[in-house]
Amino acid sequence: MDGLIGASAEALRLLFTGDREIWEIVAISFSVSFRAILYIVPLAILSAFALAYGNFPGRRVLITIVNALVALPAVVVGLLLYMLLSSSGPFGGWRLLFTQGAMIIGQMILAFPLLVAMIHLSLQGVDLSAWQTARTLGAGIFRAMLTIMREVRFGLIAAIVAGFGRVVSEVGCSIMVGGNILHHTRNIPTAIALETSKGEFEQGIALGAVLITLALALNFAVATVRGRDMARH
Amino acid sequence: MNSLPEFITVQNVQKFISNRMVLDIDELVVYQSECVVVHGPNGSGKSTLLKILAGLMTPDSGVATTNGVVRPWRQAIREFRANAVYLHQTPYLFDRSVEDNIAYGLRFRNRSRAVLFSEVQSAMEWAGLSHLAKRNARDLSGGEKQRVALTRARILEPKLLLLDEPTAAMDRKSRKQTFSLIRDLASGGNAVYIATHEAADLYQPDRVIQLDYGKLVT
Repeated sequence: MDGLIGASAEALRLLFTGDREIWEIVAISFSVSFRAILYIVPLAILSAFALAYGNFPGRRVLITIVNALVALPAVVVGLLLYMLLSSSGPFGGWRLLFTQGAMIIGQMILAFPLLVAMIHLSLQGVDLSAWQTARTLGAGIFRAMLTIMREVRFGLIAAIVAGFGRVVSEVGCSIMVGGNILHHTRNIPTAIALETSKGEFEQGIALGAVLITLALALNFAVATVRGRDMARH
Repeated sequence: MNSLPEFITVQNVQKFISNRMVLDIDELVVYQSECVVVHGPNGSGKSTLLKILAGLMTPDSGVATTNGVVRPWRQAIREFRANAVYLHQTPYLFDRSVEDNIAYGLRFRNRSRAVLFSEVQSAMEWAGLSHLAKRNARDLSGGEKQRVALTRARILEPKLLLLDEPTAAMDRKSRKQTFSLIRDLASGGNAVYIATHEAADLYQPDRVIQLDYGKLVT
């Protein structure tokens, strides 16, 4: 117990004295996950629109597949990506393994089904007549999409926040394709895993505190946004 | 035979939904500036016909002629969309103010902000909606919502206005106001098609067409 209290006190000291290594890990974590979400959101939105309003064979099967992939294990994505990006893999020539680029790709793959499923769910909450109204009033496909996105903005924000929460806390994929290299690919989850395995809990607790604060803040933000939406309707 | 100029002609139009034929029309001519009431029981294909004429639905077969030119459906749909506005039975109003809803379609046309503002103001005056300009359109009553939707369509000056059960589930006062606006619209030089269960003479139409099991019977 004394050890835990001592480690926690040291963790707080590390956080509040601006320990360079810790805040660099936090920065890498945020930078990688932010970019992954930024790059994958447009594709996820397009896919969700196609599933919601498209009329093509196999649409229902695709919806089922996307919903099933929400629970895709991070470590499996890491394994597949590792095989693809390793020097003997088909994309080994890209030299992406153990870089932030590989971590971003992995997180994009992880976030994609969750984003599509949640955005699709939001779009289903809007009647088809919304789309038809935008179109009959002269909106092209892109403008109609923007209009509908505005209609489901709270659901869209919730999906993006949930997607960010999913990837910023995953460890399996990042550790496999990022390699947990200090100053380069070490992010919060991989650093916690490493420090814990070494029996050095201070840094792990400090980073865990950052992650928990982030998770709480994100959940609070989503709850506030949803609360506002529910109060409106 | 109608003396008005022909605007759209559709021939041999068939539409299947879930392997069931919902529309099977040999020929329908839409004349410019005419007011037509489309009668028929539920499921007779009234909404499908209106959505096809609006370019919101593609038939499985058929030929379309617009302004005397036979066009492939893909091209015809573009023509329909450019010239027609369809109003749903329960109009969808965007989650924004009444004036923003009315201005929605105008924003896709080249208008200066001042012209747009002025057109929206006069359209709201026409419909008696000026006092509701800043209210969120979602908070309005059914009758007010229908008036906003009509105004939003009217401001675009479509050549063909397609109204799907515009007075369904309305109280007497709202129906009266809506009838008045629709009659005003119909006398404004654009063609108006109204799918309804109401007595046709309430709209003082130029003609009435009857649909039954997707077929045009009159």
